[in-house]
Amino acid sequence: MSGQSGLSLRARGAIAGSAAVLLAVVAVGYTVRARPGPAVTTSGTAEAGTASSTAEAGAARGDGPRLRVLSNGVLSTVSLQDPGGPRTLTSQRCDRAFAAADTIACLRPVNPLGATQLAILGHDLRERRSIPLTGFPNRLRVSASGRMVAWTLFIDGHSYASGGGFSTRAGILDTRTGTLVDSVETFAATVDGRPYRAADMNVWGVTFTGDDNRFYATMSSGGHRYLVEGDFAARTFRTVTDGVECPSLSPDGTRIAFKAAIGGDPARGWRLSVLDLATKKTVALAESHSVDDQAIWLDDRTVAYGLQRSDGTNDVWAVPADGTGGPRLFVSGANSPSVDGSGA
Amino acid sequence: MFRRKIAIAIALVAASVTTVGVVGVFGDASVAYAATTTLTPVADTYTDNSLATTNYGTSGQLGVDNSPIKRMYLRFNVSGLTAVSGAKLRIHTDDVSGAESNSGGTFTSMSNTTWSETGVIWNNQPAVDGTTLGSLGAVVRNAWYEIDVSSYVKGNGVFSIGVTSSSTDGADYDSRESGSTAPQLVITTGTSPTPTPTPTAPAGDPVLVGAGDIASSGTGDTATAALLDGIPGTVFTAGDEAYPDGSASNFSSYYAPTWGRFKSRTRPVAGNHEYVTPGASAHYNYFGSAAGDPAKGYYSYNLGSWHVVALNSNCSSVGGCNAGSAQEKWLRSDLAANAKACTFAYWHHPRFTSGSNHAPDPSVGPLVQALYDNNADVIVTGHNHQYERFAPMNPSGQLDNARGLRHFVIGTGGAGLYSFGTILPNSEVRNNNTFGVVKFTLHSNSYTWQFVPQAGKTFTDSGTTACH
Repeated sequence: MSGQSGLSLRARGAIAGSAAVLLAVVAVGYTVRARPGPAVTTSGTAEAGTASSTAEAGAARGDGPRLRVLSNGVLSTVSLQDPGGPRTLTSQRCDRAFAAADTIACLRPVNPLGATQLAILGHDLRERRSIPLTGFPNRLRVSASGRMVAWTLFIDGHSYASGGGFSTRAGILDTRTGTLVDSVETFAATVDGRPYRAADMNVWGVTFTGDDNRFYATMSSGGHRYLVEGDFAARTFRTVTDGVECPSLSPDGTRIAFKAAIGGDPARGWRLSVLDLATKKTVALAESHSVDDQAIWLDDRTVAYGLQRSDGTNDVWAVPADGTGGPRLFVSGANSPSVDGSGA
Repeated sequence: MFRRKIAIAIALVAASVTTVGVVGVFGDASVAYAATTTLTPVADTYTDNSLATTNYGTSGQLGVDNSPIKRMYLRFNVSGLTAVSGAKLRIHTDDVSGAESNSGGTFTSMSNTTWSETGVIWNNQPAVDGTTLGSLGAVVRNAWYEIDVSSYVKGNGVFSIGVTSSSTDGADYDSRESGSTAPQLVITTGTSPTPTPTPTAPAGDPVLVGAGDIASSGTGDTATAALLDGIPGTVFTAGDEAYPDGSASNFSSYYAPTWGRFKSRTRPVAGNHEYVTPGASAHYNYFGSAAGDPAKGYYSYNLGSWHVVALNSNCSSVGGCNAGSAQEKWLRSDLAANAKACTFAYWHHPRFTSGSNHAPDPSVGPLVQALYDNNADVIVTGHNHQYERFAPMNPSGQLDNARGLRHFVIGTGGAGLYSFGTILPNSEVRNNNTFGVVKFTLHSNSYTWQFVPQAGKTFTDSGTTACH
């Protein structure tokens, strides 16, 4: 926990700075959307044709911070200033996607035999590397620097809902060195301070810290769903607390957004919650729907997550990270969000 | 919470807004009345050839133009109405300078009714390929305009309208996101006697009712069995009858106390969970001759004017499903010998599905091709635990209203429900929060489907399609 590197501090400063900008533009976005009339225009007084053309050209160029999402499996971006405005679609198809810095990770649509592929793309959407994988795409994360990529696949059982249980595999790629860890389960585990081995171990939902080495994830075994803190270089992880699934570290590194099984029983669904790492106190967020997603942080005060309607349409919602307020629709018809701050 | 409430309100409005009734002449056999129902679009967007990868599905504005080329798309869902006698599309120009134009555009019906509001861009635009419904001349800003679409909207259904323009001076309209000036479909009903209740089958038409993915330690199977208590007819299963292993004890513990009540009128097919027990032996032992030859698991029978084919999609267990396999050859000869007007087929693994847990399975493609080649009508599968209905499609999954088969995934028999993944083209209706069965009423030259939900749930889906 100690020994923050200089890189980490710089990275955290940069994140805090962009978060402040982000917060401001989000507020502008809501002003635009809340006003009745042509939401497509950024200025209500301008002549319609030219105003919308200008806004659209801006969107197409990708001016300003963007939110990267999947629109029914198509890699897309919307403006963070106007998430309900024009959306730019690409030709890339993913079952799950995540972008950070200059890295876009995409888990390709799985085929009937369970084969998928992790594609690492640059912002020009050119593929830098692809890794064949087996399993059903579930979670995907890129560290804030763009260097580290982690994924979770369902290997068997395919979902929590399957009667006979399930199994997952979480892997990590260091895009700088090319080091590939096929399964975090191979790391040396410490549970409550003691070395631990178990055949029923599953790991899912990796989230990286700012130093591109330490990470958090969920490790399940013996009915527990532990929050673990891992060390990529040392190939170890140790338990931090119990009852935490799909952790997502806040930009300032102090809190974990996660899904908490209601009454400790995943069959009853999950409550989106935030854990303070220093005090170990947990607060339930104001979203009352069951959230089965690895949330993202839009800034240090707001988390976003996907919810699926009963007809299979997905929406991205946002809710304050301190349990106050209420959820708000952020991007309709979208899932798998990530903040793509480079604006490239 | 505020924004969520808005979203819900819009959804309700879309379902059905206002019914303004003008009721006349009571106490007479020929009660006549006219009423209008106003619907807002369930989806609307436009595309722009100068920004060919940009989607405007959530925008508050719709544009139609010829320079750059902008095309508008509107979709309405009409349900629950009887005696539709007319329909008008009403659209409102934006209250901004430049919204006006010397041409408001040409309005045309579209065959594609499943385009995605947040997925349509110029580069993948649905074809505006139907009949011209009307055109608007010059339009001014901030005004309503009407197009008579009675020739297209003649009853319940899903309707897509495309708008194009040959003018280089574009028009801008308000989209469904704009609120009170959203496009409207104003439907007139009436001039007929008292509304007919939901169409019921003429007495004697056979019923085929069932689902897949059924009995487990949970309670969903109990809920769907209770539905079948009240629905006479032949029961089908679409596989995965008894979880987790299709073992004799799974059948006796879970299936027998629920769907087992209908065993004597059930014609099953085995799913992958039955084949966890080698040869699906417990499935074949439990159902006996009703399940067909245990070495094959495929068979056919007739119901009224329908031929019904039960197939085995556990391909590796029966020598494959490929062209030239024993099952495919049997299917082709069975269909060739069939003299019935309509054909219904069912098995476990879906050729087309938007479910996230199991991808569409091309291994059953040769069976789909054989059915298509022989003018079959309906395919029912399960495997993904949810309900999904597709438009009639050819074996490649393309819309084919002339010869296509309507595919259903009915994995709602009781096992825990699954999420959806990427929604496939031509997927018309989906639900994953309701257990239920689908009742197919097999008319002499058409079929009616009805999703019957578990007690306490409201999702339903019904319709009628003619046989080929």
